[in-house]
Amino acid sequence: MDLSFSEEQEMLWKSARDFLANKCPKTLVRQMEEDEKGYVPELWKEMADLGWIGLPFPEKYGGGGFTFLDLVILLEEMGRACLPGPFISTVVLGGLPIAKWGTEQQKKDILPKICKGEAILTLALTEPSARYDAVSVQVKAKVEGDHYVISGTKLFVNDANVADYIIVVARTADSANPEEGITLFIVDGKSPGITTHLLRTIAGDKQCEFTLNKVKVPKASVLGKPNQGWGMVGEIIQWAALAKAAEMMGGAQQVLEMTIQYAKDRVQFDRPIGSFQIIQHYLADMSIDVDSSRVSLHKAAWMLSEGISCAKEISVIKGWLSEAYRRVTAQAHQIHGAIGFTKDHDLELYFRRAKAAELFFGDADFHREIVAQQLGM
Amino acid sequence: MDFRYTDDEEAFRKEVQQFINESMPPGWLGVDPGPEEETREDVGPLARQMWRKLGQKSWIGLTLPKAYGGQEAPLWKEMILLQELAYRGAPGMDTAIAQVDLILTFGTEEQKRRFVVPITRGEVKWAIGMSEPNAGSDTFAVQLRAVEEEDYFVLNGQKIWSSGAHNANYEMVYARTDPENKHMGLSVFMVDLKSPGITLRQIPQMTGIPAFCEVFFDNVRVPKENLLGEKNGGWQVLLHAFGAERTYGLFAIYNAKRYLDHLIQYCNETHVDGQLLSKDPLVRNRLAQMAIEIEVGCNLGHELNWQAIQGQPTVKTSNQIKVHGAAIAQRVANLGMQILGLYGPLHERSKWVRLGGRFSHEYLSTIGSSLAGGTTENSKNHIAGRAGLGLPKK
Repeated sequence: MDLSFSEEQEMLWKSARDFLANKCPKTLVRQMEEDEKGYVPELWKEMADLGWIGLPFPEKYGGGGFTFLDLVILLEEMGRACLPGPFISTVVLGGLPIAKWGTEQQKKDILPKICKGEAILTLALTEPSARYDAVSVQVKAKVEGDHYVISGTKLFVNDANVADYIIVVARTADSANPEEGITLFIVDGKSPGITTHLLRTIAGDKQCEFTLNKVKVPKASVLGKPNQGWGMVGEIIQWAALAKAAEMMGGAQQVLEMTIQYAKDRVQFDRPIGSFQIIQHYLADMSIDVDSSRVSLHKAAWMLSEGISCAKEISVIKGWLSEAYRRVTAQAHQIHGAIGFTKDHDLELYFRRAKAAELFFGDADFHREIVAQQLGM
Repeated sequence: MDFRYTDDEEAFRKEVQQFINESMPPGWLGVDPGPEEETREDVGPLARQMWRKLGQKSWIGLTLPKAYGGQEAPLWKEMILLQELAYRGAPGMDTAIAQVDLILTFGTEEQKRRFVVPITRGEVKWAIGMSEPNAGSDTFAVQLRAVEEEDYFVLNGQKIWSSGAHNANYEMVYARTDPENKHMGLSVFMVDLKSPGITLRQIPQMTGIPAFCEVFFDNVRVPKENLLGEKNGGWQVLLHAFGAERTYGLFAIYNAKRYLDHLIQYCNETHVDGQLLSKDPLVRNRLAQMAIEIEVGCNLGHELNWQAIQGQPTVKTSNQIKVHGAAIAQRVANLGMQILGLYGPLHERSKWVRLGGRFSHEYLSTIGSSLAGGTTENSKNHIAGRAGLGLPKK
């Protein structure tokens, strides 16, 4: 066993933290909550130049050839900074599936654009049922000549408002088994028949209602094998859950650190409140949540990077953090008192994000069911 | 980064597993690690057999210098051994090993040879005489007096909560040698429990197991060569002893892991209303939540072991695991009781008992897990303190 990080990983960590501290102040975070696009194109370009957006993609397409564990390190720092924008959407929901299942042509067309920061992607999976199950995929794609025609409404699609390509999960055949007959399509965001409406959320993220009205896509836009898309979706959800968990981890870490600092600085009854045992015990509890999350996150990410089956480990960390991050931010509010409850203080950003992140790519109940299956129940 | 066991590590793990398989009776459900369940009549002989076997294999003092009966093995071996023993609920590795650490750190050469070798051979057991009726978490409130006379100290007073002292040969006794100085007036003695003037009284625990002992000292003469460290230097030993409780929480977690596995198997085999218990969504959800809590605890344990191997400070992580492990132990016991329903409270010797009555035992015994070896609140103080989160004292 060796739980140390490589020098390269340590450097990635540090450079990401420094860069984001500098380029992503909380004023920008708040501005982007109100912004229609939700990200800063110049910053996106800078991140692409740093190699961040292409981090996990093969070098032959302009990527960095890094592992998922490296990506997780970067995502932790993004979560710490509350970095707004379509990073997980583009890299994890859009790019990685194309890198894994795309045809050579699809990869050549899209991956270099992603790496250069010239294409934003996302995945249109969930529908008004708001669930991550196969039964809920009702959007239909029908063959017409050498095209498919897709119609229906997707909901809670992240960053569809700015996406150049959307991977659409659609039903192409009816079957007694809802997991059969699902196909993934790479749809051009400018296709006629697409409309996108932003949904307002407590976290200020860019979730969209995404409607396809007889959208015509060529057969060559199918990602992977027709009618066999659900297995791919399952894998994408795992990656996304892990990526989200990494962001949550970074946020939780930052909240713990800022609360420790506050407890040291804030004086009441003529002493720092951090000297009171009850505050110390709250912080001790928070540190257990944070530290146990970190090593569990890295274990799952390491396994994924090594190609070791890790459905259970991913669900363990997303299931755990879904509650732990929320607990940590809520406890931080209790320690900060009224100031943390204001829009002037950064804590509220994390509290809102913790709840939204909990619900994305499977909440704790969703992942507990996977753990149960993995335990042979 | 690599979470895998290396080939060497895996080979040793297999060796330990095989040793446990061969040493435990068929259908062994496991007992809690530590001196409590070794007090049971049906476990005691097996535990004694195990100490000796572990001693013969030089596994008790795996990492210790060969001169004192050890193998000078790397630390990871000891970690694997302790985890496997705890996970399988095998008795035999006890608190004596923590005393070895103290003796090797503070003892004279003569003391090391005299006291450590019999421990690593599995021939003697030790108890800890730290607590007193008025010195629980406030360990510096120790009152038991030790007065220097000629070539011995005379001990008068009382210890309490000395788990398993009635099965032990020696006790590490924290005594007051300077009544004027609370922190600098303690000394530590290695006391032969057969010394004249010692009386023992067993106190049954809530589980019914009489593992706690009161130890009364009435003019007990302890030779000066049994003083550990400096006279009035007991505070150093005491602080070191707290640090040595590093693995306590991990025991609780691996113990809980075994119980959870038993519970999952039970739910996979038991029908209620024509449906397997494990198919009941509520039951699945709660078992999975337990599994998640245990898994993150084990992961934190990997981190702790790694820190120890790297020679980094372990105060924060070990106390985090102590808090988390104690809570897990209590929750898994409670969950087991609820799943077993009315069978839950049955005593292990009842005709209708399920899962060997382990959960009714656990439900009672794990109340001690957030008390023994320092309370959960004590651990949180350590986490928050200078060696942890760095919060101010005042």
